[in-house]
Amino acid sequence: MLQKMYDWIDERIDITPIWRDIADHEVPEHVNPAHHFSAFVYCFGGLTFFVVVIQILSGMFLTMYYVPDIENAWKSVYYLQTQVAHGQIVRGMHHWGASVVIVMLLLHTLRVFFQGAYKKPRELNWMVGVLLFFVMLGLGFTGYLLPWDNKAYFATEVGLNIAGQVPLIGDWLITLLGGHPEIIGAQTLTRFFAIHVFFLPAALFALLAVHFILIRRQGISGPL
Amino acid sequence: MKRGKGMKYVGDSRVSAEKTSTTPKDYSEYPGRTVAFWPNFLLTEWLAGSVFLVGFLTLVLTHPSPLEGMADPTTAGYIPLPDWYFLFLYELLKYKYAGGDYVLLGVVVIPGLAFGALLLAPFLDNGPGRRPSQRPIATSMMLLALIATIWLTYDSASAVDWEARAEANKPIPPSEVEIDTSDPGYEVYKNSCASCHGDNLTDGAAGPPLIGIDYTADEIAKISVEGIGNMPAGVFDGTDEELEQLAEFIFTINEENKEE
Amino acid sequence: MSDKKKQVTRRQFLNYTLTGVGGFMAAGMLISPLRMAIDPVLQPSGDGDFANVGLSVDDITTEPQPVEWEVEQVDAWYKSDVTRKAFVFKNDQDEIVALSPKCTHLGCMVSWEGSESHPDQFYCPCHDGRFTKDGTNVEGTPPLEPLHVYEHKVENGMLFLGKAYPRGEA
Repeated sequence: MLQKMYDWIDERIDITPIWRDIADHEVPEHVNPAHHFSAFVYCFGGLTFFVVVIQILSGMFLTMYYVPDIENAWKSVYYLQTQVAHGQIVRGMHHWGASVVIVMLLLHTLRVFFQGAYKKPRELNWMVGVLLFFVMLGLGFTGYLLPWDNKAYFATEVGLNIAGQVPLIGDWLITLLGGHPEIIGAQTLTRFFAIHVFFLPAALFALLAVHFILIRRQGISGPL
Repeated sequence: MKRGKGMKYVGDSRVSAEKTSTTPKDYSEYPGRTVAFWPNFLLTEWLAGSVFLVGFLTLVLTHPSPLEGMADPTTAGYIPLPDWYFLFLYELLKYKYAGGDYVLLGVVVIPGLAFGALLLAPFLDNGPGRRPSQRPIATSMMLLALIATIWLTYDSASAVDWEARAEANKPIPPSEVEIDTSDPGYEVYKNSCASCHGDNLTDGAAGPPLIGIDYTADEIAKISVEGIGNMPAGVFDGTDEELEQLAEFIFTINEENKEE
Repeated sequence: MSDKKKQVTRRQFLNYTLTGVGGFMAAGMLISPLRMAIDPVLQPSGDGDFANVGLSVDDITTEPQPVEWEVEQVDAWYKSDVTRKAFVFKNDQDEIVALSPKCTHLGCMVSWEGSESHPDQFYCPCHDGRFTKDGTNVEGTPPLEPLHVYEHKVENGMLFLGKAYPRGEA
């Protein structure tokens, strides 16, 4: 039955080559920890992606309860933490995942750096990776405000003030990010929410796609 | 593969009617020793992922995600802190030549140079050698940056009493607490304590919330008179009877709101 | 040939293991979020508390009279006071009946004798739905079931109303 359905689809759009390309490509032995245990350093990238998947999933589920509104944001998070079964765990996954993803990202970056894996021809992929790092930091910064508790509020105030120190465009930057030149409030929260949930993830997906396609095209850098 | 004439398509589409081979390629004979991505390599990768997931879930289950009280811009004396991975940037601004008159250095120049160099690393370090020993400048710069970042983060974090911070900022659901304003103790509370601890015992300008504390009535009475932590002695200046009412009032409210 | 066969079984074995490990990871990631997502479904539906509607039992007549009362509605983190409405009267057996004014067709508010051409009936202005005094829907008009009935009790001579249920289920 399944085979027939697959054949029906495959006859029309010829999907076999697509997944064959992904599934059948060869991976050099020196990155496989099953052969040399020290190759576990090559897992950092994959694990970073794994945490990103956890973040996306837990984030999607969290928005079922969260409201980006200064009156209700904290209350909804509190409700989620205290009244909803497993709410505490899901928020925990998202909270700790945000830290773990930075750690894994750092380890991955250091692995690539110290192996000189960014050298020709992989310059572009390194730059895409650094941009991914920036996007991740942006996600961390915007996500920190969303529970609308004291530490979120005051950290964001400091963050925006630092942004305001930038010459010439400082004030403009604050207003653009915070929605208001002075108040950190309703508009700041909705903006941060939109950036955290739509804009940065969109950038993340696009950059991740490029990152993976480039790896696939160029292959993994050879052993040192 | 066939080319040009003789190729058959499905209908008028561009999909070839010829079946592509579905036998997986065998890489075992390839030079350079490789394994197939699916399933050989992915299995190793996923096993690593499973171990990682177990560790991660253990972390999540043993450490509830923190949530402080609802944001209140009027909270006095709150020391703001960013999440740990921004601490190094935050700490940098405390240095003399990165803050104050030199704030431009701390906000734009130093981070700009560091992250710019990171972004453009392949072009700054463009020699052919890949081993760290073959590119001493890049390696030492990275090590230096890494040590600086770790030091700044450590320096910033070690100055913070994390446990006291978490303790002082526990979330209290405002609606859960019912205060009996007809209690004689409340009258005393209003006169002596409310200016610091707030009318609702939780939203004070200077003092911590008084709900969710674990003291007996006697201890509360003692603290009211002698002070504790930042609270000075002699704030309370009523009679002994009033003191008793006050302590009893605060104690009862905490008892009532314990199991929330 | 036997070599080839061996190769395939090894691959199959790896595939099964891979599926198992993948399933484990997916489960680890998804159990908590899914449990959280279905949490509202698993909440026991609380029986509504009875609320004093501010109407003395002695004042209830055989003529349906509208009453309004407020209940505190707790919707997760959002608490609000909502107004409920009912038509209260005594039926032929001298029993108190409290009908929900919500039309069972599309949820408009019916009114008692709302149409001059249909006295002694509840009338819904949206689609000309009609109900007899005991709440039964009139044949040939849009509503397909009777008006819902509030559960009620009497305490100290005052009327208390709870939740509205379809007739026969209360």
